[in-house]
Amino acid sequence: MPAGKRLRRLAPNRRTGRRRGGLLQLGLRARITAVFTLGALALSLLLTSITYFTTSSSIVSQDEHSFELQAIANATSLHESVYALDPAVVRENVFGLSDELRSTTSYSLIYITSLLTWFPSSPVTFSEDDLPASLRTLTLSGNSGEQTFIFRGEPHFAVGIAIPHGTYYFGVFSLSQANAELHVLLASLIGAAAVTTLLGAALGRWAAGRTLRPLRDVSEAASSIASGMLDTRLETGDARDLAVLTSSFNRMADRLQQRIERDARFTSDVSHELRSPLTTLATSLSVIESRRDELPERSQRALDLLSTEVRRFQRMVRDLLEISRFDARSADFATSQVEIGDLVRHAVAPAGHPPLSVTISPADDHRELSVDKRRIERVFGNLIENADRYAGGVTEIVVETGEHSVRVCVDDSGPGIPQADRDRIFERFARGPGTAGSRGAGVGTGLGLALVQEHVRLHGGRVWVSDSPTGGARFVVELPLSQGGEESAKTPDGGSDAPDRETAR
Amino acid sequence: MASRILIVEDDERIRASMGLALEDEGYDVVEAGSGEEALVRFTQSLSFEPLDLVIIDIMLPGMDGFECCREVRRQSAVPIIMVTARTDTHDVVAGLEAGADDYVTKPFEPKELAARIRALLRRARSTEGGPSTITFGDLEIMPEAGVVRLAGEEVHLTRTEFLLLCELAANHGKVLSREQLLERVWSYDYFGDGRLVDVHVRRLRTKVEPDPANPRYVLTVRGLGYKLAP
Repeated sequence: MPAGKRLRRLAPNRRTGRRRGGLLQLGLRARITAVFTLGALALSLLLTSITYFTTSSSIVSQDEHSFELQAIANATSLHESVYALDPAVVRENVFGLSDELRSTTSYSLIYITSLLTWFPSSPVTFSEDDLPASLRTLTLSGNSGEQTFIFRGEPHFAVGIAIPHGTYYFGVFSLSQANAELHVLLASLIGAAAVTTLLGAALGRWAAGRTLRPLRDVSEAASSIASGMLDTRLETGDARDLAVLTSSFNRMADRLQQRIERDARFTSDVSHELRSPLTTLATSLSVIESRRDELPERSQRALDLLSTEVRRFQRMVRDLLEISRFDARSADFATSQVEIGDLVRHAVAPAGHPPLSVTISPADDHRELSVDKRRIERVFGNLIENADRYAGGVTEIVVETGEHSVRVCVDDSGPGIPQADRDRIFERFARGPGTAGSRGAGVGTGLGLALVQEHVRLHGGRVWVSDSPTGGARFVVELPLSQGGEESAKTPDGGSDAPDRETAR
Repeated sequence: MASRILIVEDDERIRASMGLALEDEGYDVVEAGSGEEALVRFTQSLSFEPLDLVIIDIMLPGMDGFECCREVRRQSAVPIIMVTARTDTHDVVAGLEAGADDYVTKPFEPKELAARIRALLRRARSTEGGPSTITFGDLEIMPEAGVVRLAGEEVHLTRTEFLLLCELAANHGKVLSREQLLERVWSYDYFGDGRLVDVHVRRLRTKVEPDPANPRYVLTVRGLGYKLAP
């Protein structure tokens, strides 16, 4: 069987897939978004750093070059004026020089060997001790040099020039302006990188949404089919690579729908076919029954058997038709507004049944509920019949209302229902353990509780079994209280024919 | 004199058994196997011995039950019971709109059918008490004479429509719920089918309202029921 094979092959994959951790535990959409975000982040970081480093080195080298030229020019002008070897002249020159340079946040230092004196620029904020030692040594040994260093927390560029005749010029220039420019650059690059990353994330999200839309459509369609909308199909979109998925999904849905509808129709068809002979049987039987007294005793007993079974047959066909309408989703739902007390008292009093005790608080009695009365009548009729048949009859019926729902508890005096069977008894043709095999007098149709469940579900309610306080079983029917009670009551005519009526499903 | 009932049913065995059962109940039974035959029988009977009630199965070969029902209704106000295949809205409402007064669903209990026949016949015979003429604007209702006039012209109502109107008129201005109307007009219990009321109100409106889409007399009170406005 190829399908089985495929399933087996798929199963281990799924298991390993589940074991993988990290990103893979996220949803597909989140994963795609994350990949796009990380990609955009990496790319923008790479571009940012390349831009930053090339720009910064070009800015720095440009600045350094101009500082170098400045230093050489300073040194040259100094060279022309140091012949006097008079410290005062030198000082003046140096001061003049430094005056010129003051505006450019730079310092100058001159060392004259013959005087063994350092001449700092004025004001004396930078001394020879602040010079980087390696540059000083290098320059004083007769070589010119340059170096970047940190002075008072700011980057500075120092140029040392050995001028003939034992004179050394040191120019120190602040790099803080270039630095500030670089900071601005860095900030804008980081900003751009962040924007790019966010754009990447947004793109990823959009792309993930777009890519996964067919997948989402498929899963939505599948769950809508699962919830019973059998005619749900996927739209054949324009994406060619998805056409295979779409068409095979739709084909699957077609087959499924055909099959389910065929099954539902079969039940319904069979039941419909049975109705005509049954009508004849029941009607003819009623003719004989009206002459029961004229029959010999043996014939009377046979007639009783016949009528019991025909009645049961009739109920079974009626129940089958009803349940096949649920299966075919063609159950009509005719609701009307009723008071809880009225509803329950009428519904628990099937024709010919001895009266049952109903406990309801006076406040709850007149609360309104929107129900299909015929269906609610069947619900309680079936529950009472069930109790009569299997559990010695109903002991009490208790109505409790909550804020949003009303619960009707139907207690019986039977042995109760074991925990394990509490769901099973609502299945079709499920029979109580005590009665299995012994189809004694008055067996039911096997559909009673299944129909109870379907009717209650149609109202948006629930039904379940628990224990009654007296040890029997308690069937609890929970129905939602009508939300729009006041609303529908106050709405004026509006041309509609019916005071309230709706068709569901 | 025994009431005469026409059974229109294509299944010979059902027809025969129904005939037996209804004869047991004391009715005179006329059988028809198709809609066409039913109309012939019906027209024949009009001249000498009128029928008191007609039972029509919806699923008929040739002319279907709805058509047959409409034809009978065109000629007479005789009570009609439809035998429908299912309780679903479509068949029931279509049957009632074709002019049926009530319906039963196959497989029906013979007792149930008998009870409905009795209710319809009893109603058809009973005469109303109360005032001789009730007037609402252009609408004149004479319960005892069984006559309704709209702007002086006589309106032909079926028995059910007439009783419905009389019931609303007797309680004019008061809202009657569908349950109350079912009980009083059809003599049904609490679990009667409210669709009976809705469809008959609709039909009644087409006859007594100048503009059935915007009713002036027979008003819907949503969530509660119907009333006749003065």
